Amino acid sequence: MLDYILVQALNGLVIGVIYAVIATGLTVIFSILKIVNFAHGEVYMMGGYFAYFVIALLGLPPLLAVLVAMLLSFALSVLFERTLLTPLYSPTTERKGDYGILVTFGISILLRNLAIIVFGPFPLRPPSFFEGSLVVGNFVMSWDRVFAAGAGVVLLVGLLAFLSRSAWGQALNAVSQSRESAAIVGINDRLVYTLAFGLGGGLAGGAGALVGPIYALSPSMGLVPDTQAFVIVVLGGMGSVGGSIIAGLLIGVSEGLFVALFPDPTRSLAYAQAFSLLVLMGVLLVRPTGFFGRVHVAME
Amino acid sequence: MRRLPIAAMAAFAVLAFAYPHLVDAYWRTVGTLAIFYAIVAASWALLVGYAGQFSFGQMGFVSLGAYGSALLVQWLAIPFPIGMVAAVLVCTVVGAGIGFVCLRMRGPYLAIFTMAFSEVLRIVILTENEVTGGAGGLEVAPLFHSRTVFPYYYLALALLAGSLGLMGMMVASRWGLFFRAIRENEQAAAAAGVKVVRFRILVFAIGSGVAGLAGTFYAPFIGILTPDIGSVDQMGEVVAMAVIGGAESLPAAVLGAFFVEALFEALRAYGEWRLVIFGGLLLLTMRFARNGLLALAWEQVLRLGPVLQRARSIGRPAES
Amino acid sequence: MTALIEAVDLTLRFGGIVAVRGLHFAVQERELVGLIGPNGSGKTTTINMLTGHLSPGSGHIMLRGARVEGMSADRFAARGVGRTFQITQLFSRMSVLENMLVPGLARPHSTHVAARRQARLHLEFLGLAALEDLPARSLSGGQQKLLELGRALMLEPSILFLDEPFAGVNPYLRDEIIRLVQALHAEGRTFVIVDHDLEAIQRLVQRLVVMSRGEKIADGTVEAVRGDAEVIRAYSGV
Repeated sequence: MLDYILVQALNGLVIGVIYAVIATGLTVIFSILKIVNFAHGEVYMMGGYFAYFVIALLGLPPLLAVLVAMLLSFALSVLFERTLLTPLYSPTTERKGDYGILVTFGISILLRNLAIIVFGPFPLRPPSFFEGSLVVGNFVMSWDRVFAAGAGVVLLVGLLAFLSRSAWGQALNAVSQSRESAAIVGINDRLVYTLAFGLGGGLAGGAGALVGPIYALSPSMGLVPDTQAFVIVVLGGMGSVGGSIIAGLLIGVSEGLFVALFPDPTRSLAYAQAFSLLVLMGVLLVRPTGFFGRVHVAME
Repeated sequence: MRRLPIAAMAAFAVLAFAYPHLVDAYWRTVGTLAIFYAIVAASWALLVGYAGQFSFGQMGFVSLGAYGSALLVQWLAIPFPIGMVAAVLVCTVVGAGIGFVCLRMRGPYLAIFTMAFSEVLRIVILTENEVTGGAGGLEVAPLFHSRTVFPYYYLALALLAGSLGLMGMMVASRWGLFFRAIRENEQAAAAAGVKVVRFRILVFAIGSGVAGLAGTFYAPFIGILTPDIGSVDQMGEVVAMAVIGGAESLPAAVLGAFFVEALFEALRAYGEWRLVIFGGLLLLTMRFARNGLLALAWEQVLRLGPVLQRARSIGRPAES
Repeated sequence: MTALIEAVDLTLRFGGIVAVRGLHFAVQERELVGLIGPNGSGKTTTINMLTGHLSPGSGHIMLRGARVEGMSADRFAARGVGRTFQITQLFSRMSVLENMLVPGLARPHSTHVAARRQARLHLEFLGLAALEDLPARSLSGGQQKLLELGRALMLEPSILFLDEPFAGVNPYLRDEIIRLVQALHAEGRTFVIVDHDLEAIQRLVQRLVVMSRGEKIADGTVEAVRGDAEVIRAYSGV
């Protein structure tokens, strides 16, 4: 029994890394554009399909496929940002928060249904990136999961390094704190917004690409991580990258434990999702702005 | 909010009454469905457009009303109207509860919370399939002995008129002013003496109750109820309808629902592409005509007014 | 004599920062009090507490002898406490008249007819009558400030807190605001005015309260306060 719990917890940790990647993408978008991206799950979904087709059509190796999927997701996000989100930066637009919600919600409808048409409504199981499993004593984990967790960690570390060391990363930080001050210092805030939205999308797409062989692809696969990402971001605090990472891991592990410990196995998977949603609602009730985050600031 | 001219409303009412006699059975069903969506869209417009409370939970309340009334009637063998009233009451109370717990939440957090609420409800309904029929669906007894759509249509029309009347009265009264004040600036509204807490809870209660009412109608009308009615995609349809029509006006949201539903059926040949088109229309409307496409069209019509008047006065002798 | 409004030992912390500490401050009926102090001294926080927008961490607020701390802002408004904001907070997409009708109709037993009449009277007094159907956001900055004052007046307030009424205001409008406040004061209303414009404040008020770093450091007539060494120190940032 303990073994089973441990296995579930470790699986949960792997998923937690993926959640953390998705959630940090959402957090980056939130800190800089000050909107909640309701289309985040759909970009994640597109990333999964991008990777699949890149491998199927071009025969690229897995790591490269994931990178290409991330680039394509980045490009897709930039496209949406340039065409639909520019009113957020104009002083004449009213109720920017509502605009952000409705527009990203609209994008999610568009992408999801477009995916149904182009890819078909049925789940698609991409071939494994790496065959076989890692076996350590009693513990077995597919190499795909190990790869996903490892790549996820690399992405997170890379993001943190980017944000703290590179010039663009620091520009992102500056704009997230104060757009006007950043502009005074000479930072081109329009480019930063585009970069932020693209970066968030790239992270989501990367997560989708990594997860494809593990969980299969379907056009509605974005709906679940959508809400999961919200749970995590709210738990970890909108606007705090570190908080999102920690919360992502926590949610992943607790989900794994929930499935392991829930008395009724036929219902456990379905309710696992409801569980995180209830956690989300609970957190929002107690701390309407999340645990580690800064107070919700509207775009200046 | 512009008062609709009485003439237009009367014309609309006549058209609405005559409609089922003018079309075939297929379009009668479509019309009834459109009225159902119109009720939900109007309740969403009240909550979000008018009072500024961003809720994605409307379809959750629709499903709560639908399953609630259907199951109550089934288990307790009570007549449908009682089941309907009970379900609406439950939705109103739960809605008020949500309004209460969300008092400290703003904008996107409220949206996320209500979306989560809808999803949890949907998951529970889906999973507890012994009780609810789950994905296989719940059979709901028809309301009328007649096998046609006519009685359903007129019932829906009555419900629409009733709920629009109720919400319209609220909106036209000082309450409407308070809702808008809360939407514009909650802090200033409080400083002006508006009982913000009371009105936020109230608008949630009413919005949820009306959505639940639509749900109680939907159950016997559709015959087989599935948890999908509470899905995000359904919510998206309603949002698209209200936004395309004009989210800050109840009549505009209703017209938006008719327009989108009609378009949906007219584009039947395009199958899955329809939802893509609606997503696109929603985006276009938000981007270029934030007050709603129909509101934009209405403005253009109003602009024609003075032009028509000038055209009429040419050729008339000037008055001395 | 019971003060109209009184702060007793008010303290409020935000995270680790003490915004207001141990404040004792009483305003009598018909006074015209100025509340000044360098930036960050806690003036706006004090007003927020005295109008119900913030709850004090500890201490009481007495309104005509009754304890009111912790009540919501709308209940303060219902009890005749009006205020304006540092950054004008209007209902931007509603018309000027509607902005006035919101507080007018929020009062119990108010009728549309009476509220409308009252609103138009006030708008006339403020010189905004011609603008009544325009959306509030299309007004100039100065007109918006006046509208906000009008909105507060619709509450029939016995006390009015004005938060930086002279901020960014041209000299003509400043004189206009001073004239309006004096007229309203002559009618019997009590005022507490926060501002940095010391010249305007001194023309208006009888009594000056000075805050620095969350504490009250002076409270007296304009002359007495001007000579106060601690006040001078606070302002020169020592």
